[in-house]
Amino acid sequence: MHFIVVERHDAPVVSFHSYVNAGSVDDPSGETGIAHMFEHMAFKGTEAIGSTNYPAERAALEQVEKVYDRLQQAQRLAADHNGKAMKEQIQALEAELEKAVEKANSFVVPNEYDRIVEANGGVGMNASTGEDSTNYFYSFPSNRIELWFLLESQRFLAPVFREFYKERDVVREERRMRVESSPQGMLLEALLSTAFAAHPYKNMPGGWASDIENFRLSEAVKFYKTYYVPGNITIGIAGDVDPVQAKRLAAKYFGMIPPGPIPPLVRTVEPPQQGEKRVQVIAQTQPYMAVAYKRPDQHSPDDPALDVLAEVLAGGRTGLLYTELVRDKQLALGAFAESTFPGGKYPGLFLFYLIPNRGKTLDENEKACYQIIERLKTKKVEQEVIDRIKTKLRAQLIRKLDSNTGLAAELTSYHVAFGDWRKLFTELEEYNKVTADDVMRVARKYLVAEGRTVAYTSAPAASKDEKQASEGQ
Amino acid sequence: MNKSLVALLATGLIAAGQAPAPKPAAPPPPRQSQAGGEATLRTIPDLPKYQNLRFAPLKAIPIPTPESFTLPNGMKVFLLENHELPVISGFALVRTGNLFDPPDKRGLADLTGSVLRSGGTKSKSGDEIDEALENMAASIESGIGENRGSVSFTCLKENAGEVMTIFRDFLSSAEFRQEKVDLATTQARSAIARRNDDPGSIASREFSSILYGRETPYGWTIEYEHIDRIGRQDMVNFYRRYFFPANIMLAVYGDFHSAEMRSQIEKLFAAWDYKQDPVPAYPEFKAKAAPGVYIADRTDVTQTFFEIGHVGGLLRDKDYPALQVAANILGGGFTSRLVRKVRTELGYAYNIGAGWGAGYFSPGLFEMSGSTKSKSTIETLRTIREELEKLRAGEVTAEELKTAKDTVLNSFVFNFDTPAKTLNRLVSYEYYGYPPDFIFQYQKAVERVTRADVMRVAREHLRPENLTIVAVGNAKEFGKPLSELGLPVHPLDLTIPEPKPASGSRGIQQQ
Repeated sequence: MHFIVVERHDAPVVSFHSYVNAGSVDDPSGETGIAHMFEHMAFKGTEAIGSTNYPAERAALEQVEKVYDRLQQAQRLAADHNGKAMKEQIQALEAELEKAVEKANSFVVPNEYDRIVEANGGVGMNASTGEDSTNYFYSFPSNRIELWFLLESQRFLAPVFREFYKERDVVREERRMRVESSPQGMLLEALLSTAFAAHPYKNMPGGWASDIENFRLSEAVKFYKTYYVPGNITIGIAGDVDPVQAKRLAAKYFGMIPPGPIPPLVRTVEPPQQGEKRVQVIAQTQPYMAVAYKRPDQHSPDDPALDVLAEVLAGGRTGLLYTELVRDKQLALGAFAESTFPGGKYPGLFLFYLIPNRGKTLDENEKACYQIIERLKTKKVEQEVIDRIKTKLRAQLIRKLDSNTGLAAELTSYHVAFGDWRKLFTELEEYNKVTADDVMRVARKYLVAEGRTVAYTSAPAASKDEKQASEGQ
Repeated sequence: MNKSLVALLATGLIAAGQAPAPKPAAPPPPRQSQAGGEATLRTIPDLPKYQNLRFAPLKAIPIPTPESFTLPNGMKVFLLENHELPVISGFALVRTGNLFDPPDKRGLADLTGSVLRSGGTKSKSGDEIDEALENMAASIESGIGENRGSVSFTCLKENAGEVMTIFRDFLSSAEFRQEKVDLATTQARSAIARRNDDPGSIASREFSSILYGRETPYGWTIEYEHIDRIGRQDMVNFYRRYFFPANIMLAVYGDFHSAEMRSQIEKLFAAWDYKQDPVPAYPEFKAKAAPGVYIADRTDVTQTFFEIGHVGGLLRDKDYPALQVAANILGGGFTSRLVRKVRTELGYAYNIGAGWGAGYFSPGLFEMSGSTKSKSTIETLRTIREELEKLRAGEVTAEELKTAKDTVLNSFVFNFDTPAKTLNRLVSYEYYGYPPDFIFQYQKAVERVTRADVMRVAREHLRPENLTIVAVGNAKEFGKPLSELGLPVHPLDLTIPEPKPASGSRGIQQQ
């Protein structure tokens, strides 16, 4: 396990960031969302936190699994035999399961892990699961540093998967909120599942509804055992901290975690795209469109030029999407671009996002967006623009150094992605080498129709009319 | 320029005390762990216990004191040095707000705040300024909210002279070019058209409109007809009325020496002596309860988004600290009763919580909010009301009180972890007429809160009989009628009124 420690003694506070180099791309087939599910379990306490009697609780949790195994067997047989005869047996097992869960819950001190953090003045406690990584973070007053070492090491050393099936419902609710009840969530899900045919970037980090609804505890345990090994976790600590003390505490607490083999990378390689793909999402909303192009991963030598290209398109008030689509043509309420989506660890997407103004169409916006792209392929960006972007990227870096939370997060993610936290700073040198020719070259190479996926929303009534119209022809 | 930036960056790094990470120590041999099956985990004996940790008292919090002075033109200035990074930032607070919007030109303050920046200054167009600022990696932004307007800037130290001159020009001589007036009104119309795009945001908007009153500037909705009546001259007039030195507080912080910055600011604003009458009081807010269930039916969602509550109070209310503690216990953090019951125990919600809203100047809203699948809507709403009743029925436990107070008191240091936070807070206190030590009064008051206090303020200020419940969801999937909640049910019409046919007068024309 690698630690990166930054001393900043201006205030007696310290921020922590644990970066686990595993995310939803590592979800096994049929278990999409399991990385995210484990992230939720990491707040459920440990063998020493959150239980009134851990040995008894452990026995009760094992009993839950035994009953669940039998229930699943019965359900499986019933499905095969289309059997009503098994209905009673299933109902009985369901009742037994409910009892077993109740028994296990009777040992739980609810939300004890959270309570300890909050009552000790922890702020900003949360976690996020992305495609490439899972991140855990919060800040403490600096006299609580040892408490963080204890709490964080134990949730990775001795987590207890308590209240698993209730939390599964919570995770299901999270999907309803983020995706199913959000037109923009649905649009992004459609974009990813269309753009990628094989690579797991095709799944949203939360997973698919039916996978979530059927998670088993053993699946989350297996994920944890495989991916939460010390060599796969990097920790950033920034603030009022003494590196010598940090090193001593790291050895004392995290040293207890047994080493394990570094887990494999995803083996599936996305095959080349053979032409444009388009997907419609019918939703009760004003229109949105996402346009995405295939691009290489973050280790590609073209990565810095693609970042600069995204700035040319969407940086501040001078990016081309803003000045042309929003400001001058007034086609869009907003128009954005992102160089690396949904992750950079594997080949991914260069994303455009278009929000038409009232009375303007997606078609007009899409065409205007392509006009800009085509121009970038034939006409070099002015040197003044390139220089401006380099200046901005530098200043952005300076501002990132202004907060403990930002420092802890950035340094860990750069360390993991590029093997060295210094890349956060040396990246500027790479940006400095990018020329107007490079920007034109990567635009020509990657922003091509064959590698394009377009996802867009349509209002329900309009799409019905369209259908009738096409049927009438 | 690039070279000097690299140098600055290096300086910043050294100042930040960047310490390379030590190579991780070879871990001690792992403990023998019991073999576990796939479904179970090893059991680790002798885990260190958090209960055994003892914490040294926290180091004293260094609280910087800004320098403050008033310019001859009446502008009050606050300066705070901070030399960690080579950056200078600042903001001007202007006593104005959308509470001053004329009823037939709702949205005027917001549009003025936006075109102030985009429309440029007398000497330079907004587009020219955009490029000039971004060439220096600087930014200037402006906006007008409910009861304050602001223009802010941030830049590298070396560009402060140039950037602050543009900043000054925005305060004293914004130009409101017609093309940017058109752009802003087009965008405002698009925002109206899109206000129902995200079902999650509808509930909080409607909740706030119902409680603050649709006919008051606190709660009304901006429609196309209002935007259609707003022209350039309206914005110019609004700007001229409120943007004058004696009506502005200026705060600047970052890498400078106060004496030099003071003389720079004195020079910068020396010629600006524009005067206006003092700004009148804001329209008063009169609370009016609107108990009932308000439902916006959306057939396209699988979750119901809800807000439950009533009007809250002010920060300066004597019971505010105890109410904060009460609301924390009810729905403040992961440890609160609502999270424990609705999320952890029932698994009905990912997002659930409560807060006692309090404003500096006008009341906030007491709200319990979250989202749950359609089918568990009624039960979730009922459970939340029960939890509110329980909080009023008896005293909270000693443990709950301790956790809630510890949460506030132990994290108190984070109110001071950057000099910018301290400065922002002090300027806000000054702006709203609060004492400079208000936050310490609050800290002491929280320390004194007892279980009896929590019950008393819950009974006095949290009123189940006054609850407004707003739900946005697919009512036919609820499984039960909303009337089961025992409150009158009102459907909410989210239709966006079409603009009225043009009457020929589109705002005040140029004078």
